[in-house]
Amino acid sequence: MRSRPSVRSRATFLAAAACILLPLPASQIHAAANGARPAPAATAPEDGQWTMPSKDYASTRYSGLDQINRQNVARLKLTLSWDTGSRKGQEAPPLVVGSTMYLTMPFPNNIIAIDLAAKPRPAVKWVFRPNPRPMSQGVACCDVVNRGAVYANGRLFFNTLDGQVIALDAASGKAVWRTQVGNIMKGETITMSPLVAEGKVIVGDSGGEFGVRGWLMALDAASGKVAWKAFHTGPDKDVLIGPDFHPYYAADRGKDLGVHSWPADAWKIGGGTAWGWVSYDPQLKMIFYGTGNPGPWNPEQRPGDNKWTTGVFARDIATGRARWFYQSTPHDLYDHDDINEQILLDMPVRGQMRQVLVRPARNGYLYVIDRKSGQVYSADPYGYINSASGVDLRTGRLIPVPSKAPQEGRVVRNIGPTASGAKDWNPGAFSPRTGLIYLPHENLCMDEGVMEANYISGTPYLGADAKMYAGPGGNRGFLTAWDPVRRKAAWKIREDLPLWSPALATGGDVVFYGTMDGWFKAIDALTGKLLWRAKLDSGIIGQPITYRGPDGRQYVALVSGVGGWAGAIVSGPLDPGDPSAALGFVNAVRDLPKRTQAGGRLYVFALPR
Amino acid sequence: MSSPCRASLILLAFILLAGCDREKRGMTHEPKPETMAFVPSGDPRASDYENNAFQMSQGQRLFMWMNCVGCHAHGGGGMGPPLMDDKWRYGGRMEDIVYTILNGRPNGMPPFKGRLTEQQAWQLASYVRSLSAQPRQDVLYSRSDEMSITEPATLKERNAIMNEPPAPGHGPGK
Amino acid sequence: MRRRLLLPIPLFVLVSGCAGIQSVSDDAGRESGLIWSLFVLFGIVTAIFYVAVIAFLIAAYWRRGGSNQDGLPDEGGVTRERSLRTAFFLWTGAVIGSLSLLALASYFTDRGLASVNPENKPMVGIDLVANQWWWDVRYHYDDPSQNIRTANEIHLPAGVPAMISLKSNDVIHSFWVPNLAGKQDLIPGRINDIVLMPRRIGHYRAQCAEYCGLQHAHMALDVIVESPADFQRWEAAQRQPAPAPATPLAQAGYAYVTSRECSTCHNIAGTNANGTVAPDLTHVAGRRTIAAGTLPMNRAGLYAWIADPQGAKPGNNMPTVGLNADELHAVAAYLETLK
Repeated sequence: MRSRPSVRSRATFLAAAACILLPLPASQIHAAANGARPAPAATAPEDGQWTMPSKDYASTRYSGLDQINRQNVARLKLTLSWDTGSRKGQEAPPLVVGSTMYLTMPFPNNIIAIDLAAKPRPAVKWVFRPNPRPMSQGVACCDVVNRGAVYANGRLFFNTLDGQVIALDAASGKAVWRTQVGNIMKGETITMSPLVAEGKVIVGDSGGEFGVRGWLMALDAASGKVAWKAFHTGPDKDVLIGPDFHPYYAADRGKDLGVHSWPADAWKIGGGTAWGWVSYDPQLKMIFYGTGNPGPWNPEQRPGDNKWTTGVFARDIATGRARWFYQSTPHDLYDHDDINEQILLDMPVRGQMRQVLVRPARNGYLYVIDRKSGQVYSADPYGYINSASGVDLRTGRLIPVPSKAPQEGRVVRNIGPTASGAKDWNPGAFSPRTGLIYLPHENLCMDEGVMEANYISGTPYLGADAKMYAGPGGNRGFLTAWDPVRRKAAWKIREDLPLWSPALATGGDVVFYGTMDGWFKAIDALTGKLLWRAKLDSGIIGQPITYRGPDGRQYVALVSGVGGWAGAIVSGPLDPGDPSAALGFVNAVRDLPKRTQAGGRLYVFALPR
Repeated sequence: MSSPCRASLILLAFILLAGCDREKRGMTHEPKPETMAFVPSGDPRASDYENNAFQMSQGQRLFMWMNCVGCHAHGGGGMGPPLMDDKWRYGGRMEDIVYTILNGRPNGMPPFKGRLTEQQAWQLASYVRSLSAQPRQDVLYSRSDEMSITEPATLKERNAIMNEPPAPGHGPGK
Repeated sequence: MRRRLLLPIPLFVLVSGCAGIQSVSDDAGRESGLIWSLFVLFGIVTAIFYVAVIAFLIAAYWRRGGSNQDGLPDEGGVTRERSLRTAFFLWTGAVIGSLSLLALASYFTDRGLASVNPENKPMVGIDLVANQWWWDVRYHYDDPSQNIRTANEIHLPAGVPAMISLKSNDVIHSFWVPNLAGKQDLIPGRINDIVLMPRRIGHYRAQCAEYCGLQHAHMALDVIVESPADFQRWEAAQRQPAPAPATPLAQAGYAYVTSRECSTCHNIAGTNANGTVAPDLTHVAGRRTIAAGTLPMNRAGLYAWIADPQGAKPGNNMPTVGLNADELHAVAAYLETLK
């Protein structure tokens, strides 16, 4: 349960910690950095606010605030704690704009505005209740979560579980427009956080477990009208593939691959949703995002590469036209949705500065991909993988291990990583001060058996039984500090439970993250040394943020509330007597109900005055 | 033939006959189960379906085919609530479960009326009740069809189902 | 030709009585031809020996008697002993020789069976999945969008080897097209392969050859061997989605089938019926039989099957839906259009 930094040997760790603990001038830290920096156009000068879950278009989750730093973080104290009333998985971050904080709740997706400047203490300003249809809870694969609202130009944009996109006036909490974009009768829900840029609201659907046909669309931020919609299966015209589509690898070139890489008609119910993170490069005017798993999970029902699922798209934000695509997991065997974050960096690759995106994929490889061309510069395992033996950089293709391929009617044992991947949705943070990416992730393996799935619209389309358990070493989670330039982990922290909360990096060289049993932790960004921790009422899967309050002090905030796929055993609650519950995740966290409880409180921490 | 021998033969015949009851398959020329209207409480079909190994095993097959397993797993739940415990939001009797399957429930359970026949709903209900070992012990299966390693129903401890009988009227509930 | 050779032997007469669409005494496939030749060779050799033994027995019986009963050596004993010894060696030589012949023949037949596709020609690839009690047939190609799915009927081009991967969804079944090849089991959780090399155009009948439950006998599979050109035409037709219903009655049937119970389990390409757990119905009216050889594919068969599937094939997984007369007419009319 205790976290232990697993540096090669304890002696070197202690030595390193001892010398790092001495205060270093900032310039020296810059000198030690590896030359990686966030894409300049995709970041903004630090303003002490937190307006979007990823913090900036480059998805760094880094705040320059440095009042709380390595030396003083141990004195961090709770300044505010407030029960939101929610008891479902809380994956959304609080947003802070000016002196108002906005909370996004899981189903029923209420938005709560809190006036941080109110006296004597912060008070609720308004609550917006979208009242989504209760039926949508039945088609949400992995708890009824929401990954957050986005603030832009005086408006809040967010999605509801039943497939609506809503724009609110941030001052009054009144809806400006609401657009129904998903159909829950087919299994389309929306859990993602939108990306708002260039007057567009970018939204994708969830429902890869229901045989939906995945898409990403852009709505006009002013009116809520659909500007463009790109499907992730089917003919080129639906996928918005045209003459300006130039994928780097030959396997992604050809006409109507979204039809020809599937059995007839299977692409119509083939998944490929977009429920994760979208990054945006304002210089290239391109968005980057990944597509979800093909449906059903049983791969034998969908021979072929199953384009355009489980890959990353680069699209023109104005038109939605695809610029390039790279399929990290062709013919996905294990539900390895490719929806994880892409951190936009400019960094040296083999001695040359390149504009890249770095993406720790669910299949266990951390990809460094050129933003302009889609070329994969490197793909290195950051977690335990035995289901693939590598990535062929000439063809870009993942090399699967045949003995781990699921086969109808039999159970394949000890597959790593699991269906939930070496890392699931919870994004890492990049600190330009250390040049490291802080990845909270899992260390799990699974047994899986597949069988023919029946398609009935609005019901799950899976065809798989899984049972997950701890991977090699026995710990179920890791926080890995990854050096993208040197292509290796700088250090790792072993966590007993899988990590399902994103990380936050700050200018004070502190990294924050939470565990599913409710420990909110602050570690040293350079060494991984645990500097501070606090036990919260419920497990943490939410996104921590930091901001400058109206009083000029730096605060760290998050909302607790265990749940999601990993925590459904508590938020359900589910029965641990069945190892296959929650698609096998229950077996991996059978001890969780004893260690935490369902909850949903806002916590705000700061240094004592 | 000596009399103990005769007696044991008669006993054997009885045992075999008892086995027939467990395995009875109402397949042909028994219109009762199909044409009768559903009775919300005290439907005479309930015990026919619940205490019949064949109907239960058909229910087990349908539990996979109708994707029940996708949400409820093998009783432990996931997107839907667990079915192997003793908590039932909408009542846990055969009739309640059949009603739930056919008409759905507002918090996510889709209606299967028109997608399943009523007979199939009864078979499913029989299997669902077996997940918490409610039916007769000799009817329960000693091995599951699925590939996971769930405990056989015959080894499960039977907990009486909560709120049995349910609230009358079969309203949509909370 | 061969058959005429065997006429005198009653056993063979019996076997050849089975000739027709389901017969082991056929060489319509390379494999069945090899097996049949071996069988004939065994039959001839063992028949010769059988006849010889019986002949010697009869001869010995007739030549019994003599004056040897007192135990004294009779005249001419030495000569007889010598001729006996010669006979003994001849007999032993014949046994060893013919056993070796049979062993060699078995060996070469086995080698022959193991290399049904000696020229390594491109093969037709088929996944055959057995269910209680029907056959799920999936043709696969390099371009997966060209894949074909049908049920209870296999089409094969003559002269082209077909690699059939055998799987099962429930219990052990066995695949046997006697006219083309020997048996091969379908085992849950395993994949068995069999290569068929059909040589003669025709219609053959396969049958599940491993007891698999109540309706084991009603688990037949039609095998149609046709010319490569005909086969290609069939492939192209199978790839078409289901035709749109033309008449009002068929339209009503379409509406029912694609929105109600039928669509939960059955697939009809090009419609909302996307079920996978029951036979694909996209081109059901183009097949010869309904329910794995239970009923002929015609209007009467359709009515009988849809109205009372449990009457026609008790215990199968098709439920009695309880259609009223109008619905029954409409559904049957629509299914009839699915050529």
